[in-house]
Amino acid sequence: MTQRLNYIVPTVAVGAWLAMGMLAVQPGSAEEKSAATVQAESTLQSVSVSAPMVKGALPVDDPNAAVWSSATLARFPMSPQVHWPNRILEATVRDLNVRALHDGTNVAILLEYTDPTEDPDDAAAIQFMVGDKKAHFAHGQPMAQVEGGPVNIWFWKNKDGKALDMNAKGFGTLKVQTHQDVKAKGAYANGTWKVVFTRPLSTEHADEDTQIAQGGFVNIAFAVWDGKKDASGELKEKGSQKAVSSWWYFRAEAPPDYSGYYYALLAVGLALGFQFVLIRKLKKGQSA
Amino acid sequence: MGGSLLKPVILIGVVYAILKFVVPNIPGSAPLPASLIFLYLMLTTSGIVIFATLSGESKDAFWNPIQRFLTGENIGGLQVLRYGVLLLFPLMVGWQTYSSTATSDAPPSENRTIHPAPPGEYTGLSNPVPKTPDTIQQGKGFYAAFCSPCHGGNFDGKGPAARGFNPPPANFSDPTTIAMLQESYLFWRIKKGGVGLPIEGMPWKSAMPRWEVELPDEWIWKIIMGEYDGAHQAPRTWE
Repeated sequence: MTQRLNYIVPTVAVGAWLAMGMLAVQPGSAEEKSAATVQAESTLQSVSVSAPMVKGALPVDDPNAAVWSSATLARFPMSPQVHWPNRILEATVRDLNVRALHDGTNVAILLEYTDPTEDPDDAAAIQFMVGDKKAHFAHGQPMAQVEGGPVNIWFWKNKDGKALDMNAKGFGTLKVQTHQDVKAKGAYANGTWKVVFTRPLSTEHADEDTQIAQGGFVNIAFAVWDGKKDASGELKEKGSQKAVSSWWYFRAEAPPDYSGYYYALLAVGLALGFQFVLIRKLKKGQSA
Repeated sequence: MGGSLLKPVILIGVVYAILKFVVPNIPGSAPLPASLIFLYLMLTTSGIVIFATLSGESKDAFWNPIQRFLTGENIGGLQVLRYGVLLLFPLMVGWQTYSSTATSDAPPSENRTIHPAPPGEYTGLSNPVPKTPDTIQQGKGFYAAFCSPCHGGNFDGKGPAARGFNPPPANFSDPTTIAMLQESYLFWRIKKGGVGLPIEGMPWKSAMPRWEVELPDEWIWKIIMGEYDGAHQAPRTWE
């Protein structure tokens, strides 16, 4: 009996130390995580848009609906489009606020930005990668050493009052799709544009439309045009002359998943059983 | 009891404290990742176990208190602690299981290579433009017109158009950018732009224009000279 103990006891001791090591390590990594989150919030520079799932109707026609406040605010800096001629070196919009919601079937994305004047040519767009291939953030420009994919662009213009669902694979290749799945609605008040884009999470055209699976991350980018005219009557921003963002991430949150709790419960049960058997064996060994 | 177990416990505690609080404060050091601290603690623990089991006597002195503690025989006031451990261990296992199965809220991590290898034809080219005050001055003029909106009038990557771009435009006054590179490398990056990067450089994220469609090679070589001069850096050489 004592012979067997020689094997059991070291195993237990090592196991216990392993567990204590985990305990010592966990608080450390938790600290690291929370520090990173705080920094992201204080500088208001997000890396992703997270769309929570809501019960009831999505506010597809109402950029001012109260339910928008249940979505976390994401904020992205904008730059003038300099990558490709015709470029501009200064754009009106410098920051973009984004919120999103989904109901399991449709997704709604709200863009909000400051624009001093309401103009018929004011416009905004959301861009996604399509499929598994990476696409350059500037309209899916061709890349020299990487085979890129197309981008899917959802475009809204004030005077049109609707959305266009488009594809591009480089500047000058923009094409309006034959099937239009995107809706958009803009509202201007107090120097601020609020524009809501809506589309089903998934469509039947996976080669042209981005497909949004719940819980998964997709790449997203934004563009905004200030449709103001200069003294000579020319549009300040048009076509490739616009404010753009880099690629960031978008996710439609998955419905709550409780399987982690079940696994944890199972693990607690196993650990209790292990303890019980071990102590019983030790006690037997002692009395023997 | 305690005696033979107290020392290992103190030793583990001291090692942890050193790794967590002392090592990061050594000049030139950095905080250790949690996984590395865990590895060191495991090594310490196995060392203690090996040491304690060298002889039959030391082995008994080491294991018997553990065994007595676990079975709860004749441990007096430690009984409360024993129940605590017996309760805490399953809870910890449960928590560990939960946190390893929980889905992450963080977007996918990205490992971008900042200075990936250039294509063969762009290695070892030398600047064909003679380096004179005149040509450097011309280069600085081109830089001001084409590059400074993003890379900044002070060559610091903080131009007025830079704010929205991720990755941010390179800061040439930083000694880890152009000072580490040869002129031929800059020639490649300016000529082919962000879309010319290999896959490890994540070309789909770079806003760098493909200047070959807008500027003649000679201007690019002059810009390179103006950049080094303005940022007070020198190209890397192999001497």
